[in-house]
Amino acid sequence: MTEAGPTHRFHADEDRAILRRRAESLAQAGEEAIAIETVGLLLFRLGEEWYAVPIERVREIYNEYAVTRVPRVPDFVLGVVNVRGEIVSVTDIATLMRVPSRTEIDLSDEKPPAIIVANDTCSSAIVVDEIGDIVDVPKGSVEPPLSTLDKSQIEYIAGSVFIEGRLIGIVNLEKALEPVGENT
Amino acid sequence: MVEFDRSAFISKFQEEATDLLQRLNEGIINLEADPVNRPIIDQWLRDAHTLKGSSRMVGLMEISDIAHRMEDIMVKVREGMIPYTADMSDTFFEALDTVVFLTENAGKDAASEADLEGVTGRLVAMANSDVLAPEPGAALEAEVAAAEAAAEAAALEEEAEDAEGDEHDDEGQDGAASGPKRAQREETLKSKTQATVRIRTSQVDRLLNLVSEVVISQIKAEQRARDLRSVSGMGADVHNLWGRIKTMLGMLPADEQGAFLDDIRLLDDLFGDQRRALVALAKEYADDMSRTSTVVADLQEHAMELRMLPVSTVFTTFPRAMRDLAKQYKKDVELIIEGGDTELDKKVLEEINDPLIHIMRNAVDHGIEPEADRVAAGKPAKGTIKLVARQEGDRIVIEISDDGAGIDPDRVRSAAVRKGYITESEAKSLSDREASYLIFEKGFSTAAIITELSGRGVGMDVVREFVVERLKGSLDVDSVLGQGSTFRLTIPLTLAIIRALLLRVSGQTFALPTSSIEETLRVEPSEVIKVEGREVIRRQMRTIPLVHLRDILGLDSVSAPENKIPIATLGFSGHRLGLIVDEFVGEQQIVIKTLGSHLKRVDNVAGVTILGAGEVVPILNVPDLMANGRQMTGMRSRRAGSTVKEQEGGPRRVLICEDSFTTRELERSIFEAAGYIVETATDGAQGLAKLREGLSPDAVVTDVQMPNMTGFELTRAIKADDMLSSIPVIIVTSLERDEEKAEGINAGADAYITKSVFNQDTLLDTVERLIS
Repeated sequence: MTEAGPTHRFHADEDRAILRRRAESLAQAGEEAIAIETVGLLLFRLGEEWYAVPIERVREIYNEYAVTRVPRVPDFVLGVVNVRGEIVSVTDIATLMRVPSRTEIDLSDEKPPAIIVANDTCSSAIVVDEIGDIVDVPKGSVEPPLSTLDKSQIEYIAGSVFIEGRLIGIVNLEKALEPVGENT
Repeated sequence: MVEFDRSAFISKFQEEATDLLQRLNEGIINLEADPVNRPIIDQWLRDAHTLKGSSRMVGLMEISDIAHRMEDIMVKVREGMIPYTADMSDTFFEALDTVVFLTENAGKDAASEADLEGVTGRLVAMANSDVLAPEPGAALEAEVAAAEAAAEAAALEEEAEDAEGDEHDDEGQDGAASGPKRAQREETLKSKTQATVRIRTSQVDRLLNLVSEVVISQIKAEQRARDLRSVSGMGADVHNLWGRIKTMLGMLPADEQGAFLDDIRLLDDLFGDQRRALVALAKEYADDMSRTSTVVADLQEHAMELRMLPVSTVFTTFPRAMRDLAKQYKKDVELIIEGGDTELDKKVLEEINDPLIHIMRNAVDHGIEPEADRVAAGKPAKGTIKLVARQEGDRIVIEISDDGAGIDPDRVRSAAVRKGYITESEAKSLSDREASYLIFEKGFSTAAIITELSGRGVGMDVVREFVVERLKGSLDVDSVLGQGSTFRLTIPLTLAIIRALLLRVSGQTFALPTSSIEETLRVEPSEVIKVEGREVIRRQMRTIPLVHLRDILGLDSVSAPENKIPIATLGFSGHRLGLIVDEFVGEQQIVIKTLGSHLKRVDNVAGVTILGAGEVVPILNVPDLMANGRQMTGMRSRRAGSTVKEQEGGPRRVLICEDSFTTRELERSIFEAAGYIVETATDGAQGLAKLREGLSPDAVVTDVQMPNMTGFELTRAIKADDMLSSIPVIIVTSLERDEEKAEGINAGADAYITKSVFNQDTLLDTVERLIS
């Protein structure tokens, strides 16, 4: 690093040529990367709004389940389910993110679909109103979350993306899957 | 003094050191590529620090010394005092190789064979080399050296991996053969045999998870087999009925029969075939099922055994610990161990070490009397502490008994009254046995100064809660004044399975561990007595407060009460509480599972279990129920400690005086994680200046050896200053000789924690206790 200075002075022309070549190749690589780099999203509906989770965070979609309620947990935790011997929490993501225009969840009757999502440390089944398509969107088209969202909501949204005229919020799973009751 | 098996103790260290050394080697390689990467340096420092501490604890001072010197250098690198250079790697690798050599030959007089002086000399030189730019020509040389070193490290790693498999026969076979030379090492590599496989416990746990699913499926399948048999029974009924109809049809005039005679015969055949097939199927299925259930039972048993280890793996370190304790408290004590081959779940075994050490320390400190007293009382001069393990059904009982003074119930009573745990009249009504249970109360202590967290009465509450909460067991004490005490730990064979009472509240099923249930009753409503707005019942001359379980759990009231009220009475820490439930379902063995990765800690719930039908049932947490229940009934006695403090509000402030950057930051992170505001000073003088400038912390945590002003001088200065003397001072140090401890106490320190027992909980508990 320290001898970079003198080298430049002696071989300025050669260096410039090398730098130019490198810049060109980097630019090319960049274009290719943009063309390839997409992000897969699983869309789902909460009330009248559409949201998405990155597909690589989705473990499975769960329709048949029996929720066991757990006493004295935050209101967004509906209980736990048994997924082939593994106990997984059930999260009412709409309540957690304070999504308006949302009807109460009734687990006793016909159950709403659930998506089991996982980050590095924890997994949970999030209950949604309807499961939509899986779409691939270019990474570049993901915009920061709407500035009109209020503070309590914005931390649960990692970004937003326009698909077929609909603005879709991408859920920030790192925040949504924060362990419950760790510091109490 | 008792003999102790040092090799067993050391093999534990070797196992740990193998991992540490591998990471330290990797760290150096990574640093070469990225010399200013702070996380790598931090991790490396932590590992070196651990190596220093661990080697020190097993008495391998040479390793501790090298680790200490390496740490010194790396701290300077981190603080930018010296740059990381490639030739440093050489010295580090050489030092690490020496540590590997010393580790492998631990317990033998191998120190002389290694070039210790050379290594330490080079390390010292490196530590003292202030900013020293690499010579122009040295770069290439260093690179070559680094490549060599990397190759060396790779070989080392290979061996470390291989050594993991058979750490037990290390010392015997090749201890002397594997010197720091690579050629020799490769030779020994070949001669090693793979007798065991090391598997991560998480892998075993996953396997056990699946096995318990298989067991559940099997239970369901057995139910299906029974259903099938009853279906085949229905087939027999149908056949009989058909037989009667057929006979009646046969009695009809022949011309009326003709039309469906063929169909009747066909149906008759079909019914016969169907019945035979059904009977055969039911029988074959039942046979298959009984075969599978044997296999599944075996599978479950063997899967559980994967985690079973003899308690001796933990017990072997105790003679050494006991020797140190005896020395520390200046007592002459013999330790007798029995039942070391009793097997226990590995998870339980890992957790059991600390509580046992705690109880033994307590026995040495409080139990065993000074020699003169013993002789005067007609006892042998040498005290005896006995550690006995045995299996009783599905539980393991471990008893720690001493032939010391025993617990004086009157002294405990008066101490409890003085500290405000109970009133004078309550003290009088307590039986001796109940009085001795008071030692398990939170923060109960009869000592004036805490020398270390363990012992001194402090922590018996922690031990007990730990045993109940973490190990799902119980801890009791039996004591005869003048003859000694026996602490009895009863823990389940495995943490995975417990016996539980299933009960229903507000339409939901819960499991309550039977280990804490004293009795289950159905009482007439008239037996419930109302006293000052509380509901109680009288049982065996005692008043037991009652509380609705649904109120603790915050559930709605659903069913109308039955004629008789079902009540489960819990006993925990000498307290009793009656839980009113809606219905008892029954008692059974249950497999404990956690609430999953998302729900880390839920009040009142210890985990869940999956019943035969696949139903998930929460398991109640008895200590939580007791605490919340007692609060609701207003029976909770005045308590020192966290609850009071939290109500006062406002974050607490602590001043850390510590010259070692690592320790300082470590302590800072511990306190910050616990919600403290942390102020730091790099030596005693700076700390004192901050205090005199008006910084008024709730506690001061200080090291001893610091430049400008030592921790002892600081303590004396604080205690001599009227404005500051009320601030508790906690000395955290690696000095652990008695004279030094005495100096700390004489200086006026409120607590003295040696780094060898230092951990997060010790530090926090001590500080929180002193603040409250």
